[in-house]
Parts: sequence; C-alpha cells; structure tokens
Amino acid sequence: MNADLRSIGGWVITIALAGVVIAGFVLGDPTPEDRVATLGAAIKCPVCQGEAIIDSPSETASAMMELLEEKVAAGETDQQIVAFFQSRFGDGIYLDPPFQGKTVVVWLTPVAAIAGGLWLISRRRRRPESLPVEQS
Amino acid sequence: MIAIVGMLAVLVAAGSSLALIVRGLRAMRDPEGPTAPLKLPVYGIVGGAVVAMAALEVGLLTDDFSIEYISNNSATTTPFLFKLASGWAALEGSILLWGLVLAMYVYTVYRQVARRSQGDRLGAGAMFVLGIITLFFFGLMLTVSNPFRVCVEPGMVGCFEASNWPWSASLASLEGRGPNPLLQNHILMAVHPPMLYLGYVGMAVPFAFAMSALMLGGSGTEWLKRTRAWTLIAWGFLTLGIVLGGLWSYEVLGWGGYWAWDPVENASFLPWLVATAFIHSAVVQERRDMLQAWNFVLVIATFALTILGTFLTRSGVIVSVHSFTQSAIGPVLLWFLMIVLVASFGLFAVRAHLVASSPRLDSLASREGAFLFNNLLLTVFALVVLVGTLYPMFVEAFSGDQVGVGRPFFDRMAIPLSYGLLLAMGLGPITPYRSARGSVVWQRVKTPVRLALGATALAVVLSYRNPFLLLGVLTATFAIFVILRNLYHSAKTSGAKLGLALPAATLRIMRNDAGYWGGQISHFGVAVLALGIAISANLGVESEVVLRPGETATVAGYDITFNGQFTRQEAHRLVIGADVEIARDGRVIGAEQPRINRYEISDMSVATPAVDESITGDLYLSLRNVTPENVTIEVLWFPYIWLVWVGGFIAGLAVLWSRLVSRPARRASPVLEGAADER
Repeated sequence: MNADLRSIGGWVITIALAGVVIAGFVLGDPTPEDRVATLGAAIKCPVCQGEAIIDSPSETASAMMELLEEKVAAGETDQQIVAFFQSRFGDGIYLDPPFQGKTVVVWLTPVAAIAGGLWLISRRRRRPESLPVEQS
Repeated sequence: MIAIVGMLAVLVAAGSSLALIVRGLRAMRDPEGPTAPLKLPVYGIVGGAVVAMAALEVGLLTDDFSIEYISNNSATTTPFLFKLASGWAALEGSILLWGLVLAMYVYTVYRQVARRSQGDRLGAGAMFVLGIITLFFFGLMLTVSNPFRVCVEPGMVGCFEASNWPWSASLASLEGRGPNPLLQNHILMAVHPPMLYLGYVGMAVPFAFAMSALMLGGSGTEWLKRTRAWTLIAWGFLTLGIVLGGLWSYEVLGWGGYWAWDPVENASFLPWLVATAFIHSAVVQERRDMLQAWNFVLVIATFALTILGTFLTRSGVIVSVHSFTQSAIGPVLLWFLMIVLVASFGLFAVRAHLVASSPRLDSLASREGAFLFNNLLLTVFALVVLVGTLYPMFVEAFSGDQVGVGRPFFDRMAIPLSYGLLLAMGLGPITPYRSARGSVVWQRVKTPVRLALGATALAVVLSYRNPFLLLGVLTATFAIFVILRNLYHSAKTSGAKLGLALPAATLRIMRNDAGYWGGQISHFGVAVLALGIAISANLGVESEVVLRPGETATVAGYDITFNGQFTRQEAHRLVIGADVEIARDGRVIGAEQPRINRYEISDMSVATPAVDESITGDLYLSLRNVTPENVTIEVLWFPYIWLVWVGGFIAGLAVLWSRLVSRPARRASPVLEGAADER
C-alpha cells in the first residue's frame, strides 16, 4: 500500500510539473516580438560573406539596419520591408525562403525525406522473414 | 632550392601513390603474395608528404619570397606562429596539409595491415583505394594547386606571375603580402584547420575499407570492426574542429556569435552529421547484423561530403558562382567528387546482391528502432543542410537568379530536429534490443522525466517563457538525467553485488564497457552543448552603445564605462582600442580593451572583441566605430555560453574513453552481466 501511495504521489508530481511546463508554453509571452532583430537576421548583408545585416560590422549593413529600424518604427509590415529590400538588392537578399516559386524545393525536400524514411522503416518491420529479402 | 626540394618530395609521394595502387591491387587479388611490397610505397608517401610540408615551413620561416605561395601569404613582419600557420592558411598549403594528414592515416592503416598474417585481402584492397585518393591529392599539388610555384614577376609586395616549374629563374619580392588578416588575429587559427582536416581526411579510411569489402564481395562486419578506431577518432577530431571553428568565430570575427549557417560552416557540419549516423548504424550492424547496405551508403556519403566540403571551401564557389571558374582547382575537385560518387555507388550497385541480407526489426520499440529514428533524423538533418547550402548556388548557376536561404531557414529546420535527436538520445541507450516493453522503459526514464520537467517548471516559474528555450531545456536535461541515472543505477547495482563503494563501482562499469560509456559521455557533452545553445541564444541581450569618454551605459545589468581610446603601432598592424571599465552593482569587476586591428599590407581592418567571462555568462564587447569624439561598441550578453564549448569538447574527447580505456583485469562477473542488461 505504501508503494501504491508512492507511485500515486510520483504521478501527481509528474502531472503537476507537466502542467506548469504546458502552462509556460501556452501563456508564454512570445517574447516582445523584436521585429527588427528577426528581420535583421533574415536580411543578408550584400557586401559580406554569408552574414546577416544584424551581425555584420560593415557600414553598408549598419546603414541597412538603420533603415530597417526606421521602417519598423514607421509601421511598415514585414512584407513591405522585405519587398523594399528585395527591390533594391534582388530576391537573394532575404534569407528566409518563401514557400512558393523557386524555393518550394528547399521546404519540400526534408518533408519528403522524413515521409520516405518513415515508410522505409515501417516496411522493414512488417515484412515477415520468409519473404525474399530486398535491400533498401 | 626549397621549391625544387618541395616539388621533388611531392613527386616522390605521387609516384609512391601510383606504386601503392599497383601493389595494393596485386596484393588484393593474390592473397598468397607477401604484404611487404606495400612498405616502400607507404614510406614514399609519408616521406614525400613530410618533406614537402617541412620545405614549405622552412620557406615561410626564412621569408623565401621567390616562392609565390610564401610571397602572397606571408610577410617578414608576420609573427612566428602565424608564419607557421600560413603553411595551411591558404589554398595550396591547405591541400598540402590534406595530403600530409592523409599520408599519416595511410601509414597507420599500413601498420595494421602489416601486423596481420598474409592474405589480408581486405587490408590490401583498402590500401589500393587509399592509394587512389593520395594520388589525386598529390596530383593536385603537381598541377592546379602547386604550393611550390616560383615567382617570375614579383611586385613591390607579393608576386604577380609565377611558373609551375621549380627550375625557372625565380625573382623574389622584397616583402610578402602577409596572411589574410582574419587568419592572423588569433591563435586558434593555428589549431582549428589541422583538427578539422584530421577529422575530414580520417573518413577516407572507413571509406577505403568499405570499397575494399565491396570489391571482395560485400558481406560481413570485418570492415566495420577494423575501421572502428579510425571512424571514432576521425569523428572526435571533426567534432573538436567544428567546436574550435565556432570558438574562433566567436573570439575573432566579432559579429557576436559562433554559428551563422554559412556555407563554410555547413561544409564541415555535413560530414559530421552523416558520420554520426554511421557510427550509430555501425553498432546496429555489429550487434544485430542489420543495416549492412545502409552502412555502405552512409560511409560513401560521408567521404563524398568531405570532398564536397573541400570543394565548397576551396573552389571559390561560395563567394560567388562566377569566381568559381577562375579557380582551376574547383572543376578538378568537382570532377573527383563525381568520379567518387559514380565509382563507389556503381560498385555498390553491382555488389548489392552479395551484401548479406539482414534480419528484420522485431519491433520498432527497441534499441534498433531507436537507432533507425536516430539515423532518420540525422540524415534528414544532413539533407536539409545540403539542400539549403547548394540550392541557392544551383539556382544562381543555372538561371542567374538569386534566392536566399540562410539562418532563419536553417534554424527553423534544425531546432525541431535537434529536439527529436535529444529525445532519441535519452530514450535509445536505455531501451533494450529486440523488443522493449513500455513498462521497462518507463521504469528507467520516470525519474529523469520528472527531473527534466522540474528543471523546466523552474524556468517557467522564474518567468522564462520562451517556448524554444523551454523545449531545449526540457529535452537536453532529460537526456542528461537519463545518462546520470543510468550510470548511478548500474554502479549501485553492481557495487552492491561486488561490495564496492559507489565511485569504484562507477569507474569499474565505465571501464568494463568503455565503448558504451564513451558514447554516453559523448551524448552527455552534446546535451550540455544543446543546453548552452538554448540558453545563450534565447536569453542573450544585444545592444549598441555610443559613448563619449567618461560616459556609462548599462546593458544586462552591467555598467560599461568608456575611459578613453588608444592607438598602438605594432610591427604588422595598427591597433586602435578603447579602454572600458565594467562594473556591476556599483562594484568594478573588470577592465576590457575591445580593439580594431588595421593591417596595412592588405588594407583591411579586423575587430577583436573583448570578452569578459564569468560563470553566469560572457559580456562581449565589439568595437564597431571610433571617431575622435566617441566610440560605438556593440555589447552582447551571452548567458552560460561556456556550456557550448565545454559540452563540445566533452563530446569530441569522449572518443578517448572508448579507445584508450582498457577493461578491468578480472573477467566481468555474471552480476555485472546482469547489470549490463539495463542497457
């Protein structure tokens, strides 16, 4: 009986802790959405090697960051800001590929790979041992 | 003179590679023949590579600017250590280092082959394959990537025009261009590339044995068992190389981070991911005879990705697909990659029917099942990085359009995959083989689950509500607690039966199955690293402050006071710095000097950040701009970032435990076997 009580106590603790954690996820302020930081990390510095403007110390990047801050302060939407930078520096300036056009490939490849992998794994399991063996 | 010696040494190494190919092939086909004929070619390769590297280093240290490489990558004012490091800091030298490391691996493989009795066909075949790879790399040094080209038209500084032929009348410039400023700013530059290459190149050994096994029929686990040491050691070096690269980026580049998902970083991360998958699936083949074909695929992919990485970082294709055509080595490496892929997968396809059949999974809920999910996650991770890195290049090369794929994309993909990997890392090692009952697994994870939930709940109560942080803390602490509980439980059980105190029992079980526990130490390191990333990335603070002398700004609870600027002329650079005082709660805790180094020869400025380290985190100061009136300093606060470095080093060094620790003298008792059942 003692063991039963302990086991019940363990479950109560587990569920209570899980409750707090889930509450943390649900209630969690999605951190003061720092749009400048998010956008700054997604816009490439055109004169650097693979750096976002928020990371680069170069003058170009600093100027672009200032411009970005002004635009966010002026209340422009993310799409407007991205479109502005893309019109000036080309589509490649935006490092977060959209789920459309040319960049669908980069989104779909991992999804297809996970689906294919899961299918292969499940197939390995179900097959009875008497069937002819095939490599995967 | 140095050019002639170096060139001859490379020739000797290349000729010896050719001999190794011929003799290796013969030894493989004729198992009765002696293995001794391999000795001379191997010694030739090693000797040639060592002499060539030594010649280049002597040239660098004596400022022999009649050699183009030295004239363009070193200077009289370059400090000693960076002259040494210049030996591998630029293209041709790095290929020479590739060749030298490869030669050392060839030698260690030869030692293993020579120790065996006659008829080691598998080993001879591996030597044959290694011979082909060495021939390719020393061939590069004779043609498109010659480190010993002599200068025929020197400039005031550096060399304009050079000849491939070492006997050409050479002319030396008075001064060299010096190394790339980014590469002469920190000591880590001397260590990071050799580490990375020891990892990269080591993957050629399991690849060579796999090819040899396929040529000989393709079945069995001998090739896996024989290459286990190389695979693990290469993996350890690769891990350390990547972590050191991150540390270098953090300490030197001053952009305030350690990982940016740029193509160079991805190039080193790709083989790491696939090699990690390979290490795990190799265990499944050795223990349960499954995944034979899959292991061939993984080992080929790992090797191919190291060549791809060399291509990406060395061809200039990253800077722009257009500069790629200007670099002669790029197309050659690309061709080699194609040949490797076609030849190895072709061989695999021809021999696939001979690769022994594998038993099926008894149940997905088993150690094997966990390994399969681990492999799925790691290979998908690799695919994400591969596609994200190459796709923009493809699009630009074929359509001229630019598409951007960068950090936001990689983060979004990598973060959930990492949570999955951490979960698998916790569950897999305590799940029994064949078939696991839920109750057994729950028994083993219930305490870790509660502790991890407790740690996460604590974070919530402390009002950290960022979901990425919470999930990271939850999964990472879960993995850590599972390992600790597993160790404690096994030690307690066997200690009680053997009458040993807990520390002695712990050491005993860890020595008794060093392979398993080496892996667990590595897992522990990876989980600590993940925890460090989750905390430092989500709770960091970033702020740019402009200060006049005497002014103070407060960032993340620290008072940062700018006390004045200074300028200092050093032999090879001009240093501009700011004197900064750091205080917390009114108490001065440190003085820092973030600097900008100006390298006159190459007309380039590099910021050197100042990092004030403490247990709770790093205060990171990067000087952005200096005017007579004020300075602009970027201030970043990285809480607990040392977890990243410590975790990474533990993960990489853990292979030492697997390889160097020997079993305790006495045979494992049945009691210990009972304790081992837990795994």
